[in-house]
Amino acid sequence: MRISHLPVVFEQGTVSMEETVGALELRSVSKTYGRGPKARTAVSDVTLSVRHGEVYGFLGPNGAGKSTTIRMALGLIRPSGGEVRLLGRAVSDPGALRRVGSLVDGGAFYPFLSGRDNLRVLARTQGHAGAAIGSLLERVDLAGDADRKVKDYSLGMKQRLGVAAALLNDPELVILDEPANGLDVAGIQDMRALIRGLAADGKAVFLSSHLLHEVELLCDRVAIVAKGQLLQEAAVRDLLEGDALHIEAEPVEAAIAALAARWPVERVAGGLRVEARRADAPDVARHLHAAGVDIYRLASYEHSLETIFLTMTKDGHD
Amino acid sequence: MIDAMTAEALKLRGHRATWLMVLIYPIVFLLFVLVQLVTDMTGTAGAAQAPTAALWIEQSHLVWGAPLSSGGRFLIAGFAAVVFAGEYGWNTWKLVIPARARWQLLAAKWIVTIILLLAAFAAADLLGLLGSVLRPLAGGPAIPAGVSLSDVAQAHAAAAAHAVLPILYTVVLAGLLAVLTSSILATAGLSVATILLEQLFPSIAFFAYGYAPALTPALAQLLPFYHVTNLVAWAGGSGATIPLGTNATIAAPQIVSLAALLGWTAACGALTIYRFGRQDLN
Repeated sequence: MRISHLPVVFEQGTVSMEETVGALELRSVSKTYGRGPKARTAVSDVTLSVRHGEVYGFLGPNGAGKSTTIRMALGLIRPSGGEVRLLGRAVSDPGALRRVGSLVDGGAFYPFLSGRDNLRVLARTQGHAGAAIGSLLERVDLAGDADRKVKDYSLGMKQRLGVAAALLNDPELVILDEPANGLDVAGIQDMRALIRGLAADGKAVFLSSHLLHEVELLCDRVAIVAKGQLLQEAAVRDLLEGDALHIEAEPVEAAIAALAARWPVERVAGGLRVEARRADAPDVARHLHAAGVDIYRLASYEHSLETIFLTMTKDGHD
Repeated sequence: MIDAMTAEALKLRGHRATWLMVLIYPIVFLLFVLVQLVTDMTGTAGAAQAPTAALWIEQSHLVWGAPLSSGGRFLIAGFAAVVFAGEYGWNTWKLVIPARARWQLLAAKWIVTIILLLAAFAAADLLGLLGSVLRPLAGGPAIPAGVSLSDVAQAHAAAAAHAVLPILYTVVLAGLLAVLTSSILATAGLSVATILLEQLFPSIAFFAYGYAPALTPALAQLLPFYHVTNLVAWAGGSGATIPLGTNATIAAPQIVSLAALLGWTAACGALTIYRFGRQDLN
């Protein structure tokens, strides 16, 4: 467990009508391959909802059903059961997918075409012949290599071209399968800024990633899946929130006396550990202040997403 | 739909090997014409005898015989195999399927493939005709008396019309095989096998008649193989008659084979749309 500083003000977002309808909704979605005794369930009864203006992380170990779920969300795979809704419409509705941008398989492109021509082909297929391909290529830092054939691209370049392709139709929902694959540190930072920018513009972003630290930094909410089942869907902040506060205050005895009646307190290296939730932090501070205690540090203990992920999906690895 | 077709053409233009499978017809005919003109100029072919008007016209539209021949249809099937099954090999269905309805993606491929092939044959045909017209200038045989522009246009249009359905059927069949096999190689192989089966069909039918005299003629009328052969024969002026036994033959009027092959083409197309519409792309 680690310690993180508490924010002074908790943001209170306003909820618009658009936000009440999920940009992406999976309702009891299942996928089973084969029939009879050889049937294999890849995804089982997954229900989740991605809202406009948020970045939603989709996590799971290899073989957890992430890719199958993403493909069902894009109409590439037919669900065996349940329903996929994009922007309030069924995924089978041709109009729904036109407002969605996607990156799957690290950018599947025509290897014999240049990056620019690949985007031209996609823009034409989408019916957006006038798409601003040049500015998109600049946005993903590929303008200089736009006329090279994709077969000569590195994995990171293909990934960036994939992001450009995903944004070609100015989508309301962006679905990204492992967008940071093959990117260097600077590329990952750029990608993070780009994704946050999309969410700030009100777009919904649904992404899968193995980079849990990135997910932690980037996502508003996450879903964790293993063996085809949804284990948890929660706000990252809630998920990481620990059940204790770390306090550095003087005098220590006065602090213990002020708090012990209400919260269990113990001395730890460098201060006190108070068994209180993050939401109790202002109250704890008031109690200490009333008792004449000086507070030097007040922070919540937090779980790391990696620890939570590994704990929850442990069975998936066995 | 125009946008989808433009996208398809953009893809094909960028794939040199595929593009060559379209350009090969005008290229071969251009070379053929050049060789013919050089031969005429150097007189190496000896004194050429002037053909009759009918023969001259027939020779000027030789290219339209390619889609009716096995070799020509192998090439057409190979081209269609790359166009349809290539998306599986390149893993690019994932790129374009979210962008447009699946049936429209298929329709764009059918239309562009057929238009390109017809344009290539038309270009080769014009080159062949140009060569026939230029030959007298290079010392070759003169254009025979009685050759009129309207006769030439009529004969070329008729030859083109005879080629349309075999091209259409071959492309649609290859498209179906591509969707069923998801492989360029398998599509090309099965297309070649189907075309060879058409060639062998008279022998197979003759052999099968001895075992199933009632079933064989019925199957021959039902399956597409005989009808392809029959339409090719009708393009030459008379239908194909397949002997089955001492008193039995398979024969059909042109219109029957035309309807049968159109039916098979439509069925293959419908099955392709149905199968592709339900296909999981992992």
